[in-house]
Amino acid sequence: MNFDWSVIWTHRSALLEGAALTVGLTVLTMLLAVPGGIVLALMRLSSNKLARSASLAFVEFFRNLPLILVIYWAFYVMPMAFNVQFSPITTALVALVLNVSAYNAETFRAGINSIRKGQMEAALAIGMSRRQAMFKVVIPQAARRILPVIASTWVSLFKDTSLVSVIAVGELAYTAMQIRAQTFRVLEMLTAMAALYWLMGYPQAKLVDWIHRKYGVKE
Amino acid sequence: MNATASPPARKNAGQPPVLVYENVRKLYGDFVALKDVSLQVQKGEVMCLIGPSGSGKSTLLRCTNALETIDGGRVLLDGVPLPARESEVRKVRQRMGMVFQSFELFPHKSALDNVAMGPVTVLGMSQADARARARTLLDKVGLGDKAQNFPANLSGGQQQRVAIARALAMEPEVMLFDEPTSALDPETVGEVLNVMQKLAHEGMTMIVVTHEMSFARRVADWVVVFESGAIIEQGPPAQIFDAPTVTRTRDFLGHLGWNG
Repeated sequence: MNFDWSVIWTHRSALLEGAALTVGLTVLTMLLAVPGGIVLALMRLSSNKLARSASLAFVEFFRNLPLILVIYWAFYVMPMAFNVQFSPITTALVALVLNVSAYNAETFRAGINSIRKGQMEAALAIGMSRRQAMFKVVIPQAARRILPVIASTWVSLFKDTSLVSVIAVGELAYTAMQIRAQTFRVLEMLTAMAALYWLMGYPQAKLVDWIHRKYGVKE
Repeated sequence: MNATASPPARKNAGQPPVLVYENVRKLYGDFVALKDVSLQVQKGEVMCLIGPSGSGKSTLLRCTNALETIDGGRVLLDGVPLPARESEVRKVRQRMGMVFQSFELFPHKSALDNVAMGPVTVLGMSQADARARARTLLDKVGLGDKAQNFPANLSGGQQQRVAIARALAMEPEVMLFDEPTSALDPETVGEVLNVMQKLAHEGMTMIVVTHEMSFARRVADWVVVFESGAIIEQGPPAQIFDAPTVTRTRDFLGHLGWNG
């Protein structure tokens, strides 16, 4: 066999740009999907039946579809159905946010429900509104409790961003595949891609472990 | 004067009552938790609600500040029925402090901020003013040196005293205590009861659901005995504990080992 590892060095800037976009997509998705998850969770817990049903439908729809299908759907169907045309990156972001918001909604709902009813009552008893009690008392406690779960979602998301390569978003997976197609260096590029994902993913996984130890529920 | 024939005098009997319960009914599905309970609380009175578990005394307390909605009758504060609208209920709750069996301090806030939170969030007081008030109140309950501690680093008795300070921070007219010492280790019960007794001496109107009979005997102005969602007897502690007129009151106190 005859390997040419220099192909990685030659294309280093493209690979690093791809890696940067992978990180950027992950960060941006989470920045949107955390508030998205909170809104969906609050809708789910509200006394308004319409809000409850809408949130339930959203969550159960996007949680139970393969992410890759949502990505294709956002790319091919959304422009036709809603007459909107986004760039591939925006389309990817939409698909990822829909998916991760649905997961986060369930995480937040479980977190909010795990806070004793007495905490809400204590807040109401001193005269707070339900909204104040929720945002000042319940959610801060729930957030701490679900941080480990959100961190795990983060790591999954980081890897799942590779799926948006199917709609030609130039993140790490797409970039590596492009270089492979041009150079026919399959093994080298797949190895480089694996190394880059692993080198970025491992510290994150360690960080998640640390968060689990520090913030995990110990009761 | 015909003192022996007249009913026992209530504290501040000449003034209108602070709280009036009129035929209050509470249902949980088919279960009738309160069977048309009527009761009055006078200003500055310490009223102890006693009776077996599940007899409705905590439910009545929770109906007082609308943590539970009632299914019949009325609760009046200073002659005004409890409102139905959330925004108005909040105003009423601000006038009543509540202390829970399980403390329910906010675990993500220091003792000081637990106490300051009500004035800041609800009254819009500045952080500095609210903390100054909180410090005064923590001193009052004997925890001035624990202001920076988080609830997890306080004993049960200390947590409950912080909870009392938190309720007092809203400067309520009435304090509601829902079995405030039932979750405490025996050695810390006394420190909480002492704070409550101090409040009573200052003239705070207090409704106390309790199983601490000696506290009720010593501190209460009026004792109400519940059974199966109804009041079976009420009167001054001397009557209830020394000469109950109802057999079931005697039975209940006898079960607790109370012998006058």
